[in-house]
Amino acid sequence: MPKVQIQKKSTWVDMTAFVDVSFLILSFFMLATKFKPPELVNIQNPKSVSSENVAEKDVFKVSFDKEGRCFISFSSDDEAKERIFNMLDVLNTQKGISLTKEEKTRFVSFSIGGIGVPFTQLKSLLALTDDEFKVFKQPGIPIKDTSNNQLTDWLNALLTGSGGRKPANVMLNGDNAAAYPEFKNILAAFKKNGVFSFKLITAMESVPAGTPLYKKQQGETTK
Amino acid sequence: MGADVDSGSHDHGKKGPGVKKQKKVAAKVDMTPMVDLGFLLITFFIFTTTMSSPKAFKLNVPDDTAKDEEQTEAKASGAFTILLSKDNHVYYYEGQLLPDGSNFKSTNYKELRKVILDKKGRTPEKDLVVIIKPNETSNYKNVVDVLDEMTIAEIKRYAMVDISDSESTLINITEGSAPAKP
Repeated sequence: MPKVQIQKKSTWVDMTAFVDVSFLILSFFMLATKFKPPELVNIQNPKSVSSENVAEKDVFKVSFDKEGRCFISFSSDDEAKERIFNMLDVLNTQKGISLTKEEKTRFVSFSIGGIGVPFTQLKSLLALTDDEFKVFKQPGIPIKDTSNNQLTDWLNALLTGSGGRKPANVMLNGDNAAAYPEFKNILAAFKKNGVFSFKLITAMESVPAGTPLYKKQQGETTK
Repeated sequence: MGADVDSGSHDHGKKGPGVKKQKKVAAKVDMTPMVDLGFLLITFFIFTTTMSSPKAFKLNVPDDTAKDEEQTEAKASGAFTILLSKDNHVYYYEGQLLPDGSNFKSTNYKELRKVILDKKGRTPEKDLVVIIKPNETSNYKNVVDVLDEMTIAEIKRYAMVDISDSESTLINITEGSAPAKP
């Protein structure tokens, strides 16, 4: 009797190629990823056509959000650290807040996220642990009152501490919905200290077609 | 078959008596969990990664302590004043603001570019000065947008100035009676 052989087809699928591809993508993302720094303040930047990348070394950043709070932060490189220590030394003598060495080190680690308290609360802020700091809602540096614009004092201490040498990158990081007077007060504090050049942090936007800038850029690329 | 190591295929040969049969171990490895895990990690990295890095927009402001002669030097014919108000309202006028406010016009951010380019086309380049006056209720986004328009339209001379009382009352009147479309 002739046997009718039913060919059994294996249900086994070879996944090797699949695995290869998926791990290739995985390694790409692992290498390409740069983790967002821990931002304590939620800020939506406005858009601009600027295409210059934001520098990361020797940064002094002033952030302001839609609630009208103002924060200062520094980058985490050695140059910025040195600036912070010098600045706090100046503040110790100017404001008499007498920060210890330990508190200064805490300031350095907190300053990456942003510091936004009046001078009177600085010491109690630096007594917080890392976890407490993350959930603590800072009131912001007082800037509304022109007679008590504390950002001016911070800037003054920063520049005095570094011997008048301005940070290479002075950045303003503002929220879309932040009110204009807030921006004006911050500019006023900078102007008072002789800083006239800033970089605004913005999201990228393409140059609209047909405008003079667009034509200029087109001209440059075809040359 | 790819990475599946086929180790058992040569064991079909005859073996002498007494040779214990080796247990065949399945050499095929089920890769499904590995793929699962791989894609889980991929999704994680996709979500955490920041592809569009923020850009720096350069801004230089004038020194207020220096004498502001430049502003008075600007020819009235080449001056173009943009006033920013709440809810994305924009107003503008050319030259001097007339006492009756007849050259005070309202626009929005889409039309603003046309208006600026139109003015730029009609004015000699050395005379053209754009004055930006945000009022108390305008927001940061509006200010950056207008500064960005200056870059887009390649306006060489522009300044950010505090709004005057007559201008802010004019805005209040306009917004009180017939608010412009944003």
